Amino acid sequence: MLNSIIAGLTSGGVYALLGLCVVLTYRLVAVVNFAMAATGAVGAFTMVSLTEAGLNVWPALILGVAAGAALSGLLGAVLVRWFSGHDERTKAAVTVAIYVALMAAGLRIFGNNTSGARNFPRPFDSPAFTVGDVVVPQAVLVSLAFAVLITVGVGLLLSRTGVGLRLQALSERPETAQVVGIPAPRLAMAVWVAIGALTTLVILIVAPRLGGDFSTLGGLIATALAVAMVGAFRSLPLTLLGGILLGCLEGFAAFWEPVQQYRGVVPFLVILVLLWWRSRHEVWDTAHSR
Amino acid sequence: MKRSLTSIVAVAALALATSACGGDSGTDGPIKIGAINGITGLFQTPEVPKAVQAVFDEVNKAGGINGRKLEFISKDDAMNPQRSTEAAIDLIESEEVVALVGSSSAVDCGLNRATYSNNKIVSIPAVGVDATCFSSPNIAPVNPGPFKLITAMLYYASETLKRDKVCMYYTVLPGSGGGIETAIKEWTDITGKSLTVKDLSVGQGDPTPYLVKAKAAGCQAILYNAQVGPWFAQAATQGMTDVDFIMGANSYTDANAALIPAKINAYAGTEWQPYTDATLPGNERWSKIVDANKIQRTAFSQGAVMAADVFVEVLKGIKGDITRESVTNAFKNMKPIQYPMVGTPYVFGPGNAHNPIEGSRFVKVLNGKWQVLPEGFIVPGKN
Repeated sequence: MLNSIIAGLTSGGVYALLGLCVVLTYRLVAVVNFAMAATGAVGAFTMVSLTEAGLNVWPALILGVAAGAALSGLLGAVLVRWFSGHDERTKAAVTVAIYVALMAAGLRIFGNNTSGARNFPRPFDSPAFTVGDVVVPQAVLVSLAFAVLITVGVGLLLSRTGVGLRLQALSERPETAQVVGIPAPRLAMAVWVAIGALTTLVILIVAPRLGGDFSTLGGLIATALAVAMVGAFRSLPLTLLGGILLGCLEGFAAFWEPVQQYRGVVPFLVILVLLWWRSRHEVWDTAHSR
Repeated sequence: MKRSLTSIVAVAALALATSACGGDSGTDGPIKIGAINGITGLFQTPEVPKAVQAVFDEVNKAGGINGRKLEFISKDDAMNPQRSTEAAIDLIESEEVVALVGSSSAVDCGLNRATYSNNKIVSIPAVGVDATCFSSPNIAPVNPGPFKLITAMLYYASETLKRDKVCMYYTVLPGSGGGIETAIKEWTDITGKSLTVKDLSVGQGDPTPYLVKAKAAGCQAILYNAQVGPWFAQAATQGMTDVDFIMGANSYTDANAALIPAKINAYAGTEWQPYTDATLPGNERWSKIVDANKIQRTAFSQGAVMAADVFVEVLKGIKGDITRESVTNAFKNMKPIQYPMVGTPYVFGPGNAHNPIEGSRFVKVLNGKWQVLPEGFIVPGKN
C-alpha cells in the first residue's frame, strides 16, 4: 500500500501546479478560467511541433511559451474589453465557450490520442531516489519545488509588495481600483499574459507524466479545478496540499481493489466530502465570501 | 369521387409495394452501397471511405458488375448516436443501398444492428469496434476485433514469448467488459493458464501506481491498451526493461512507435498484415491502391480495401439481378474467401453472430519504428 501511495505522491506535485494556476487566475483577475489547460496545451503543442520540425529546444520553448502567453492574453483582452462589468459567472461561462472552441480546434490541428501523441521533452525523468519499489524521478522534485516556489513567491508578492497590493485591489474591486489610479486593464492584461506563459510551462512539465495528446492535456482542467477547490480558490498553501492529497488518493485507489475501477472518481468524492465538512457551519442563504 | 379514391388507394398501394422491395435501386442503374464512417469526432477514420471508393472506382473503370456501376455513399456519424441512426435509415430507406460496406464507426453496430436485421441488409464493416459488431446476425467485420485480438495477444505472451506471469492493464469502454472476460476465458480454455493480475481500471492520469503494482506482482508480460506516451515514459523511469509490453491494434501507429523509449520491450498485435511493410502477402494490392489515390497508409485503410474486395468478389458470384435480397442471400450462403491480409478465411454465413477473422501478427518497436516479427499470424490453439 505504501508503495502505491508514494507512487501517487509522484503525481501530486503536478496536480498542485495545475491547481495553483487556477487559483492564481482567480485571485488576480477574478475569473474561473476553464480554458486554462487548453491554452497551455496550445503553447506546449506549438513547442513540440517546432522541435519535431527540427528547431532547437530552447528557441522552440520560448516560442511555445510566447504562443501560450499570447493566446491567454487574447482571452484576457476579450474578458477585459467586453466583460469587465459582468459578474464572475458570466466570465466563467465565456471561458467555458472558449474551452470548447479550443478543444475542438486543438483536436483537429494536433490530432487525437493515437495520431496526435507527441514526444514531449523529458529533461527530468532520470531517477532521483528509490523508496521501496518506487523509483522517484527528478521531475517529481522539480514539480514540487516549482509548486512551493509559486506558493511562497506569489504569497510574498501579494502580501509584501506594492504590485501585489494593486493586483489584490484589481481582483477585489476592479472599478474602484481604476478610480484610485491603478491602471486596471493594463495590469489585468499583464496578469493574463503571465498566467498563459506559466500554464504553458506547467503543461510542458506534466505532459510526459499525464498525457501526450491535446485532448488529455486540455482536459486536465477538471483535475486543476478539483485541486483549486481544496484551497477554496483562495489559499495557495491549501491548494498545494490538495494537489499532493489528490495524487496520494489516486495511488491508493489504484492499489485498493474494491475501488480500483472507480479510481478516477474517488479523489473527487473525497474532495466533495471535504468541501461539505468545511461548509458545515455555514448558514443557508449566507453570501459566500471569495 | 369513388373512382378517384380508388385510384389514390391503388397509387398508394403501388408506392408501398415499391418501398417494401426497397434496396433494389433498379436493376439497370448503379448498384448503391452505403457506409457509416467516423470522419469527424473522437473516432476518426477518413481514409476508410476513400479506400473503399478507390476499389469501387477500379471496378467501375473495368466495366462494373454485369455492366452496372458501383455507387458508394459514405455518411459521417461524428461518433454521434443520433447522426449514426439517421445515417442508417437514410442509406437504407432513401438511398436504397443494397448493403453496407466498409463502415468504420465506434457507435454504428450497437445502434443500428436491429435496423440492419429488420431491413434484411448485410453490413461488412472495415473496422468492427464494439462487441455488437461481432455478435449480430447481419454484421460481419473483416477485422478480428478487440476481443479475438486479446485472446491472440494472451496466447502470444504465454505460448510464443513463454512468459509465465501474464498481466493485463486495460481501459474498458462501456459495455465491453463482458467481451474481455470471454476473450480471457478462451485463452484459459486453450492453454489452461490464468492471469497474474487483471486490472481493467486504467484510465487517464499518472500511470506510476499501476506500474509499481505490476512490478510488485512480478508481471513478465503486460497487455496494455491505453495512452502510450506517459505509460512507457514512466515504465522506463521505473526500470521495467525486462517486461514484455503487448499493446492492442489501436496503438499500432507511427506516432506511438516514436514515443517508446529505447530500452523498453513493446509489441503490438495487428489485425491485418502489418501495414508498415508493404511487401507482406496481401499488402501489395492495398499499398498500390492507397498510394495511387494518395490515401494515408493506416491499418484501417487495409480493412477498407479488404471489405470492398470481399464485397466485389461476392457480388461477382451473384447470378441474376443484384438487389438487397440477392446480396444478403449471397453473403449468408457464401463460400469462405482466403484473403492473405488476415489470419483466417473470411466468411459471412447464416449464424446469429459473426467473427470470422481470428489471429494476429505481431510487431515490435525498434529504434522508434515498428519491426514485423517473423512468426506469421498467431491463431490461438493453432500455432
